[in-house]
Order: sequence, then C-alpha cells, then structure tokens
Amino acid sequence: MSQAVTAAHTSAIDALHTAYVAALDQGDMAAWAATFASNEASYFCISAENDRRGLPLALMYDDCRGRIDDRVSFVTKVWAGTYQPYRTRHFIQRLSCESAGNNQYRATSGFMIMMTPEGGATTILTSGEYRDLIDIQGEGDKVRAVFRERRAVYDADVLPRYIVFPF
Amino acid sequence: MSAHSTHAYTGEAPKVWPAKVNQIPKEIFGDAALFEEELKKIFYGDTWHVVGHTAEVPNIGDFKTFDLGRVPLLIARGKDNQVRVFFNSCTHRGNQLETSVSGNRKEFECPYHRWLFSLDGTLAACPGSKEFAPDFKQENFGLVEVKTDQYLGLILVTMGKNTPPLKEWLGESALPTLTALLGGDGRLKLLGYQKVRYASNWKGYNDNDGYHAPLLHTGFRLLNWQGGKGFQRMTENGHVIFEAELKPATGNGFLKDPSLIAFKGSNPERGSVITQLFPMTVMTKHMDVINLRFAIARSHEVTEVHYAYFAHEDDSEELVQHRIRQSSNLLGPCGMVSMEDAAIFQRIHIGNQTPGFAEFQKGVTSLTEIPTDVKQNDETGNLPRWEHYRKVMGFKREGEQ
Repeated sequence: MSQAVTAAHTSAIDALHTAYVAALDQGDMAAWAATFASNEASYFCISAENDRRGLPLALMYDDCRGRIDDRVSFVTKVWAGTYQPYRTRHFIQRLSCESAGNNQYRATSGFMIMMTPEGGATTILTSGEYRDLIDIQGEGDKVRAVFRERRAVYDADVLPRYIVFPF
Repeated sequence: MSAHSTHAYTGEAPKVWPAKVNQIPKEIFGDAALFEEELKKIFYGDTWHVVGHTAEVPNIGDFKTFDLGRVPLLIARGKDNQVRVFFNSCTHRGNQLETSVSGNRKEFECPYHRWLFSLDGTLAACPGSKEFAPDFKQENFGLVEVKTDQYLGLILVTMGKNTPPLKEWLGESALPTLTALLGGDGRLKLLGYQKVRYASNWKGYNDNDGYHAPLLHTGFRLLNWQGGKGFQRMTENGHVIFEAELKPATGNGFLKDPSLIAFKGSNPERGSVITQLFPMTVMTKHMDVINLRFAIARSHEVTEVHYAYFAHEDDSEELVQHRIRQSSNLLGPCGMVSMEDAAIFQRIHIGNQTPGFAEFQKGVTSLTEIPTDVKQNDETGNLPRWEHYRKVMGFKREGEQ
C-alpha cells in the first residue's frame, strides 16, 4: 500500500471491497449497483485475452451509470426464471493501491470466484484481477468509498458456463 | 454413456429413426460412442467446417489455433498475405507445434528438436539432418495443410476426400444472406471474443441456437421489440438462412440507457440476418452486431463456442464504438437477449437424457415429407438439417429397407 493512503481511506476501501463481495454472494444486485458512484460510473467485465490483445469487446460493457442500473433490471426482472440458479463465493486479495488525485485511488486486487449450481458441486468459475478507480466521499466518520470504475479482467480463456451475475 | 440412455449404440448397427419426420430420437444426444461416429462421418468427413475469419489474423505472421473435433489446427497469415490452415503438429514426431491461442510469429519453432517452419509451412531448418533417414528430404516435411477455402474472408476447412466445392456446398440461395452478414464484402475488423463452454451435445446446441420462436425472450416483450417481415429458407444439405426487417426498438421506457439498442445500420430491410451452416456454425448480424460463432464439438456432452464480434473496415469511429457496446451486451453468453438461449442449451441437454423424442410442432404440415417451404416463425426449418444428419450418419427410417 502506498503511504499516501490514510488509515481512514484504507478502511473505507476495504469496506467497499467487502460490500461488493457481500452483494454478489448474496445475489443482491441492487446492493451491487450501490457500490458504484451514483452519478457517473462504469463496470467492465472482460477476458484477459481481449485485454491483453487490446481488443475492446467485453463480456459486460457498462460504460455509464444507466447501463449498470439496466444490468440490475435484466438480472432481476428479465432473466428471472430462465437460468439455472448458481451461488458464488468471491475471494479477493489486495495487490496495489495508489493515489490518483484528490480523494481518488487506483487499486488492483486478485479475485477468485467459486460457483455452486443448485444440486451440484462447487467448482471454480474463474480467477482474475480487478482494476479499480475508487472515489472517497464524505469526511471524518462519514468517509465512504465507491467505484468510479471497476474493470474485472477474468483469466479463463474459455468460461465454463454462461454467465448471469457480474464478476 | 449416460445412465438414462435407453439404447446403447455400438457404432455398428444403425439407430432406427422414427417414420414421422417431426420426431427426433433423444437417445442421439447422450451417446459417447455415437460421438466417435460423428467425428468420422461429419467432422472429419465430406463437409466444410467454419474455423475462422481472415480478419482474426489481419497482419503477416498473425496466427490463431482452433480445433476441428479433436484435431488441432494452426491458421496463419504468410508473407504472401495468404491465410493457410495447417495441422498444428510438427512433421517430425508429431509434437503440438503452437500452444498459444493467438499471436504473431516470424516462424514456428518446435521446441522438441528445433524444427523450424516458415509462415507458409515450409520446413526451413532441422538441426542434425545429416544423420536422418536415407530417404529424408527437407522439402517433403513442410507442415501439412488442411484443404481450405474462403468466402469473403470466412475460412472453412474439410478433411473429407469427396467434399463438394465450397460455393456448391454453401448453395446459391445462401450466398446473398451470408454476403450481407459479412458486411457485403468481408472486409471486417475484429473487436474481440466471448468464449464459453456449454454442457450440451453439439446437436442440441445447434438445434436451439440461430432462430427460434421469441416466446423465450421476455426482453423482446419488455422492450416492445417486434420483429419485422422476413423469411426462413433451408438447403438440402442442412443450412438455414433467415432474414427479417428490423423495426426500431423503443425500449418501452424499461431501459435507462436505450442508446444500447439503437440501430445505426444503413440496411434495416436486412436488420436481422442469420446463416446457420451444417453441422454447427451460427452466424448473425442483428442490429449493428456482426457475430460469427466458431463452435467446437468437444464431446457428446460439451460444446465450446467462440463468439467473435466484428466491425466493418469502413465504419466511423462512432459506429465502431456503438458496435463494441452493443456487441458486448446483446447476443453472447451473457447477452441481454441471449443469456436465456445459453440456459436452454444446458437444460435441453439434461432433458434429452430421457427416453422418447424431441417433437417438432409449429409449421408441421406433413408427417412424411421433409418441409421445403416454411414460414418465418416455424420451427420446421430445422427438419431438413435433421434429415441431412440422418442420411450422413446412415440411419434408416422405421420401415425403410
């Protein structure tokens, strides 16, 4: 961790990671969306192959706040009842965190997602790396971190199943 | 072999196909021995198989690897700008030559004994050849090329000895649609991939990808997305062509960002176009998405699909950006209107492990004649493909001598 990160900010960033994991592992899409900045935010989920080759296409390409909200609508309203349910467990490991300006940080972390289909055994969905731009909002006791941008770069060259939930 | 399968297939006696043309025996979806027969008769037989597009390897030295059934392929662009397809195997002891999915090389070197191959497959160097067998000639040991042909950059291969010429195999009636799908001239630019494995037999995947009744797609209804007039056409050798006008989708107020489903293309009369080639290639142009699905039959219960997305070389920056966000979010294994399809591939595979038949209903007018003329929304468009499959596999119909 860079020395520029204060203890309060570190704590807020950790709480953000925790909130993100908790939201997805509980299947709470509204809580997932709430980890992003409410005005301007983006989420990309892209294969390491595309990322490495500079190919822009992603698996999920939410380049504005409206897209993030629309993803929530699709998972919870449009797709309800059409997919085989699966639960996930996300595990993350902080790798770096550096100041990117006033109350803003660039952070990376490793992730692993375990998945369990209903009635099935637990397997690895994929591992990968989060590359984040994080905003710190509020002051004092009210300090809170949100994602301005989260880029989930997943390692699997071929995913083991179709995907419903964000990584 | 699945525990649910009721008839063991030995690969010797042909399965018996029901007399009614709208019934498909479900036992063919869960049979490991049958898959071995399909590899021989279809995937390594007298059929063309789509393995890529030249836009995936735009520069000299670019390559990608792919599999035809279990056979590893190496697709490379040579210094003469020709795209060739080789068996991805060193001509010395058979070692897999290239391990990467894609990249750019000046030449291909086998690490085992350092045999070095030029981009055109020529064996350029092989250390210690003075001690090789008396009949060894370096010029005889170039990489082995697979018979290949192209249509507007679409790369097809065949391992069969009696495969018809490509254009004949595609069929005149399929060409206009395929041409429109490939941007009119095939000058495409790769945007990227979504790659996924489905727990589904390749025939189950193929039977349910492409066009199907929109009842499945709640998204279409919520977005007030009505399909326009169109047609569905089949060829005798199992291809299906589909075209429909595209009416603008309003989003119905459901989306906060309706710009995602804007249609910026110039030819709305061909807004939705699908070409499905036997045995298992689905290609579509839907709105501004150009999507070629390169599929690999991995086993009787695993199908791998590489969804490759493209722009056209002449696109404006703005149109490319629109294609990127629409392609990423619309039609893939996590797409707004296609994730349900992916779910169906896996569920239908599970359901197909039961005895009995998959029954086709909508559009069936005869129980004895394979339909040649079907309406836009009929599910009978798949039946000529099933008939072609039955014949290629040598399965007799019930009562047939």
